[in-house]
Amino acid sequence: MTAPSPVRVLVLWCPDWPLDPDSARVDPDGARVDPDGARAFEQVVSLVEELCPRVEVLHSGACAIGARGPARYFGGEQALAGKIIETVTGGGFACSAGVADGLFAARLAARAAAPGTVTVVPPGQAPEFLAPYPVSVLDSEELTELLPRLGIVTLGEFARLPASQAVNRFGTPGGTAHRLARGLDPRPLAARPPAADLAVSVAFDPPAELAEPVVFAAKALAEQMHDGLAGRGLACVRVQVQVISADGQEHARLWRHDGLLSALAVAERVRWQLASWRPGPAPPGSASPGSASPGPAPPDSASPGGIALLRLVPDQVVRAHGRQLGLWGDAVVSDRVARAALRVQAMLGHGAVTRPVPAGGRSPAEQATLVPFGDTSDPERPPDRPWPGRIPAPVPATVCQDPLPARVADATGAPVTVTGRARVSAPPARMSADGGPWLAITAWAGPWPVAERWWRPQGVRRRARFQLVTEDGAAWLAAVQDGRWQIEARYD
Amino acid sequence: MTSHCHAALIVADNAVTLTFIEPVFDIVRMGPGISQARRLSVGGNRNGVSPGDGPLPGYGGLPGGGALPVLPALGELLPGGLARGSVVVAGHWSLLALALAAGASVAGAWCAVAGVPQLGVSAAAGVGLDPARLLLVPDPGTAWPQVVASLLDGCELVLLRPPGRAPATVRRRLEAVLRRCGGVLVVAGDWDGAQARLLITRQEWSGIEPGHGRLRARRVLVAADGRGAAARARTRWLWLPGPDGSVGPADQTVTDIRDAG
Repeated sequence: MTAPSPVRVLVLWCPDWPLDPDSARVDPDGARVDPDGARAFEQVVSLVEELCPRVEVLHSGACAIGARGPARYFGGEQALAGKIIETVTGGGFACSAGVADGLFAARLAARAAAPGTVTVVPPGQAPEFLAPYPVSVLDSEELTELLPRLGIVTLGEFARLPASQAVNRFGTPGGTAHRLARGLDPRPLAARPPAADLAVSVAFDPPAELAEPVVFAAKALAEQMHDGLAGRGLACVRVQVQVISADGQEHARLWRHDGLLSALAVAERVRWQLASWRPGPAPPGSASPGSASPGPAPPDSASPGGIALLRLVPDQVVRAHGRQLGLWGDAVVSDRVARAALRVQAMLGHGAVTRPVPAGGRSPAEQATLVPFGDTSDPERPPDRPWPGRIPAPVPATVCQDPLPARVADATGAPVTVTGRARVSAPPARMSADGGPWLAITAWAGPWPVAERWWRPQGVRRRARFQLVTEDGAAWLAAVQDGRWQIEARYD
Repeated sequence: MTSHCHAALIVADNAVTLTFIEPVFDIVRMGPGISQARRLSVGGNRNGVSPGDGPLPGYGGLPGGGALPVLPALGELLPGGLARGSVVVAGHWSLLALALAAGASVAGAWCAVAGVPQLGVSAAAGVGLDPARLLLVPDPGTAWPQVVASLLDGCELVLLRPPGRAPATVRRRLEAVLRRCGGVLVVAGDWDGAQARLLITRQEWSGIEPGHGRLRARRVLVAADGRGAAARARTRWLWLPGPDGSVGPADQTVTDIRDAG
């Protein structure tokens, strides 16, 4: 499997960007990328674009350009990188740059460079440059764990394995990683250039004044593009988003895709691009990302004159390895279900249709996370950990989103309180939920004290929980905190 | 074309385990997923539905006949299951509404819950609804009839808590959608002219007493009536939920469960 050595790539890296570049990779869901950071990074991209036309955003904080053409124009890679660093630093953003064969080596080179400087790895020397790096830079958890156990600690040692062995033992990801370690492109480029019919576009007549309809159309458009690619067994490494305004101005941007983005994530990138775009020459941004300046244009408005055309062009088409199948998370969603959900989302908004993801936690409300349909998400709190103090089964069918205020009184009518040592002032005799009628309590259990998140000064919750059964047969999960009673859930 | 749902219950160590559900068809080809014995642990960790345990192949796997299956415990109250194209009323919002939907979910159907922002997802999973095949529209707003109609196009069962009594025009429109797409609408609330109606008429909690114990199980008396085939009124005692979290028939001879608990 011989391949020509990869093209020269320059990576510009802003080390202080909110998203940690070490752990950054293209997010399949797009939700974890800080949108403000992404929008602010557009200012850096605009500065680079003044020098070279085709800038690819890797993630907020890093972008890449093909170095060959611009380097010729500016008189060498060193001069090109110096020029870019000077411009971006002049705009108020600290950055460093790396030039090498292929994106992988260029990224590492940019990170190796001191702020304001550039590391140039001469052509053909990427393998030597990569050799001392630990295998953990391959960004594959499995390999990072496995290879050191086999005595393979550095990329150089990994690269010395025969390629066929790497594929046999570690599968497709192993083959990809092995190519990276040898300083090659992760996947051989597809032999044929992307056919024109893989690009998709939608025209707006009359031109769209607001960003929202464009973003909504982008979602359907991205699906169309994914279908077209998937139908040919292809995936794209990057997607170019072209926006053309009614007065003929064009704004194009490359976004990393790797066959991983969902249609929604592509639409989200269109939103960022629209938010950052102001037609006409962009004055250099002066705000630093830390000051969290929003995008230059209010996020709801598109360009003056409106947007006439949106086009998505798959760039660098490669054979799909089945990675883009995770678009809907783990469960397979039939087209029929997806269409129904999308129709409701079109009516009520993206967040109105959700899928529950079991999560961990002590209170009933914490035991599920609702994820908007089409997004993928890992639960913030894994369900398979022990959560000491969680409410024992049965689980309530009604979980109040916001706890309802309640009053609980003893036989004399005085409010029931709980001491710091979890003793009840008197047995609870009757209760009233949310201003409702008083109900006699026929059975009760508690108090079960909970002190959650005591390690966080603002997050501490000292509560005592009770289960109450009232005369009508209803069972309630109540809690008292700072002398105030609340209904958390009802066992309907 | 009829389909029957045979389910076996094995009671061991106080835990009711639904060991398999095997639809038998007259003509229909069985989907690969549903023809296998499928183990569904109603007892254990019902929060974790593993992807490997995943959905049966969507529409291909479900009985295409006249009804969606119900949990075995509800079989006597709803002989023949939930008729496709019908509306079933489950009284006030309660675990009963979720239990009604659970049988179809176990068999591989997609379910949607509309108008229940306070849905306890763990409780839904506990009675058998698979969270991986569940769509939630917590606040459908005033456009709820259109939302329900859209959901019925994609899901075979929609559980709705309408904001009030639905006007006749809305009911007729949704009933037409139901007949067209062969879904089932389970309503937690009022719905004039529903084909079947289940109500919890009594409920008794066990395991808890003044000052000690905790909630462990609930016995409910469910009354069912309806029109047509479901016209004969029936009542049954059910565990909803039982001591192990599942839904099962409760012993009718136990009158005071506090003595038993």
